Amino acid sequence: MKKFLILVAVAVLMLTNLSIARTKLVALPERAETVIRLDNPLYTLVEEERVLALQKGTNQVDFSWTGVSIDPDSIRIKILSHPDEVNLISVSYPPGENACIWQMYSPSPYEEKIRISYLLKNIDRLITYKAIADKDETKINLQSFLILRNFSGEDFQLAKILLDYGETYEKSVSHEETRQMLLVTKSSVPIEKKFTFDARKLPWDPEKVIGNVGIPVTYEIKNEKKHGLGEFALWSGKVRIFQDDGKGATIFLGEDNLNFTPVDEKCSLYVGDSRDIVVTQRKIKDIKINVRKNDSNAVILYDTDEIIKVEIENFKDMPSTLTLIEEIPGEWDIEETSHAYEKEDANTLKFNITLAPKAKETVTFHYHRRNVR
Amino acid sequence: MKNIIIFSLVFMFSATLYCKIDLVTLPERDKVQLTIYNSADLTFVRETRTLTMKKGANKLQFSWANTLIDPTSLELFPLKDTDKIAVTDLYFPPRITGLGIWNIVSQISGKSPCEINYFTSGISWQAYYLATLSQDEKTMKLEGYVKVTNRSGEDYENAQVRLVVGKIHLLDEIATLARRYPPYGRPFEPKPLPPTEPGKRRDVFEAKAMLAGAEDRVIVKQIEKEGLSEYFLYTIEGTETIPDGWTKRLLSFSQDKIPVMNFYKYDESRFGKNVFRFISFKNSKSHILGKEPLPDGLIKVFKIADKDQHLSYIGQDSTKYIPIDQVVDLNLGPVSDVKVEPKLMEVKTFNYQFNAPGRNISGWDESQTWKIKVSNYRNIPAKVEITRKFPHQYWTIENSGEFGDYKQLDKDTVRYTMELLPNATKTFTYKVVLRWGDRQY
Repeated sequence: MKKFLILVAVAVLMLTNLSIARTKLVALPERAETVIRLDNPLYTLVEEERVLALQKGTNQVDFSWTGVSIDPDSIRIKILSHPDEVNLISVSYPPGENACIWQMYSPSPYEEKIRISYLLKNIDRLITYKAIADKDETKINLQSFLILRNFSGEDFQLAKILLDYGETYEKSVSHEETRQMLLVTKSSVPIEKKFTFDARKLPWDPEKVIGNVGIPVTYEIKNEKKHGLGEFALWSGKVRIFQDDGKGATIFLGEDNLNFTPVDEKCSLYVGDSRDIVVTQRKIKDIKINVRKNDSNAVILYDTDEIIKVEIENFKDMPSTLTLIEEIPGEWDIEETSHAYEKEDANTLKFNITLAPKAKETVTFHYHRRNVR
Repeated sequence: MKNIIIFSLVFMFSATLYCKIDLVTLPERDKVQLTIYNSADLTFVRETRTLTMKKGANKLQFSWANTLIDPTSLELFPLKDTDKIAVTDLYFPPRITGLGIWNIVSQISGKSPCEINYFTSGISWQAYYLATLSQDEKTMKLEGYVKVTNRSGEDYENAQVRLVVGKIHLLDEIATLARRYPPYGRPFEPKPLPPTEPGKRRDVFEAKAMLAGAEDRVIVKQIEKEGLSEYFLYTIEGTETIPDGWTKRLLSFSQDKIPVMNFYKYDESRFGKNVFRFISFKNSKSHILGKEPLPDGLIKVFKIADKDQHLSYIGQDSTKYIPIDQVVDLNLGPVSDVKVEPKLMEVKTFNYQFNAPGRNISGWDESQTWKIKVSNYRNIPAKVEITRKFPHQYWTIENSGEFGDYKQLDKDTVRYTMELLPNATKTFTYKVVLRWGDRQY
């Protein structure tokens, strides 16, 4: 489908104003090199080169489109063959039409190559990834794919398709076509496997739950040079994670969305749930202390004395590291903890618990909440 | 039904124009492997096909109308000559559903084995168990089965079948992706809707599975088991042919003489005033199990009723996934041959506090004396676990009588565990003092 039309009309006489009649057709130039640039996730930039047969004097070049949606304010023109001699005099937009008219001055008849750039709607890209972890889950092979979705109304003959990194493809892309292309392959990217029990989100007592409480398993990847990455930011996209089964095949472990990850930053992929680590959390003490009352004998201020006990059972025959995330609202002081913790923020505690194979570990923390009203 | 069709198309390129020459081959599946998940409607299919390559540019057309294949999962790669055969891209032509075309550039010509991978929905598997208690109820025979059902729209012949036990994380349902057109959606449109009827597939599967017994094989196949990441992989020996619409049941393991513990739970906050019967065993070596985790599934429990090995049916439960070395508690429902009868024997209040002399009550203590009678009317021993919950955390307790093992579970819950001989009764008393109002501070 040809949705773009370029007409070159030549008005050799001086034009006095813009209410000109767009006169005779001189040439209908074919599209030469076309570039579809997809580095902006929200807007797709198309650049196409055309050769115009310009006459000496003022030329009128009509650029119009039907059946496609382009942002008229984004249209730019670059003169390539004689940039010092050929001048763009003006750009005008006729009323009620999808068109723009360039007035160009050429000192002599030229076969002039120009580049037209514009933002085209309903064409975009997705990024997807495929990761294959090794058997020990210490590294992955990472492939990223570019998915071009062209629903713009335009058929492109041999266009260069580019992101900001990775392979460049030269392909013909039809309207309503979707095309998947391999961008980058990176092998042996180190990963860190983590288990996380977030007490704010998961049930505390698995006995009272129908089915198993899965402990989320994540892979952490650092986008840095040392790890074979770090050349470019990783675009957001769906990652499907597989694992080498050691027998020449793979199994699928799960999928997650990789969030946009700048160079030297970490990203975390939620793969699936482990049911071989069981966490049972119970509050074994919760009483009010330092109770203060007003004249009507109503309690207006108090502290609390609370103890939480977390039993962690590792049924795996491998050591594991579990991150325990606990929340204490308001003001508080820790009295005693069985394990070291990091204070994530005002209300969040993080314990990193190392679990031996087939071992049971009990974490307790005793705290006072202060000045509860 | 064979709905997946592959054409190898060879195109000749002359400058930028190309013309289609001919359809060259229709390669058959050489090998197929199905990896079926039970936590999601997902099967990972790996096919090996021998493609005939021409030197230069090749096109391979893959179509899957009337199947439940997720087109975004399609992948093709050569198994040999990987440096000479490059798969450059995959495209989904306009206005055609269920069809994709790979562009392949080959430096060699001739036959080349390739692997094609994709996800499909519609194939499922589930574990289920038959348990048979011995007459004295001290041991149990446990048989584990797996049932595979194919409702994918595609026949899979001579497929190697692998079953995955585990809970994977998915962003989109495969069935939704399989129905979506265009395969990756349209630019800037909202994401596909979340699944609407999550419970449905399982129901369909179970109704189907009940009819499945007739397909049992005469030869009992071995199932090889191994752990991978957080999952457990069952590989069924040899190959299976599973036509669309069929279910197959296979024996996964059978183990006799597993020591079991009969026990009974009384917990008003969970079971009301009933006593629930449980059978407990450990998925461990000491219980002659523990070779593998036990996948979640339905378990039907029978008992050998007499010397002629007649059976009596006790009940059923849906088990959770059981890791190696974890204790399993099978809930067989309410019973009447073990009874727990709590009786409130005495209530007293004391230690009253007042806001000021002659004004309102601001606090007091309340003592409750409970007598608990535990009766075992069975002719075998019983272990009974009684859980009591208090209205708040400000309490002290005194136990007396045959209260067995006492444990505080959390701030307001206590548990008594005791063993009863056949046809025996035990009685114990506890006196709890609850502090109310200002007596709590």
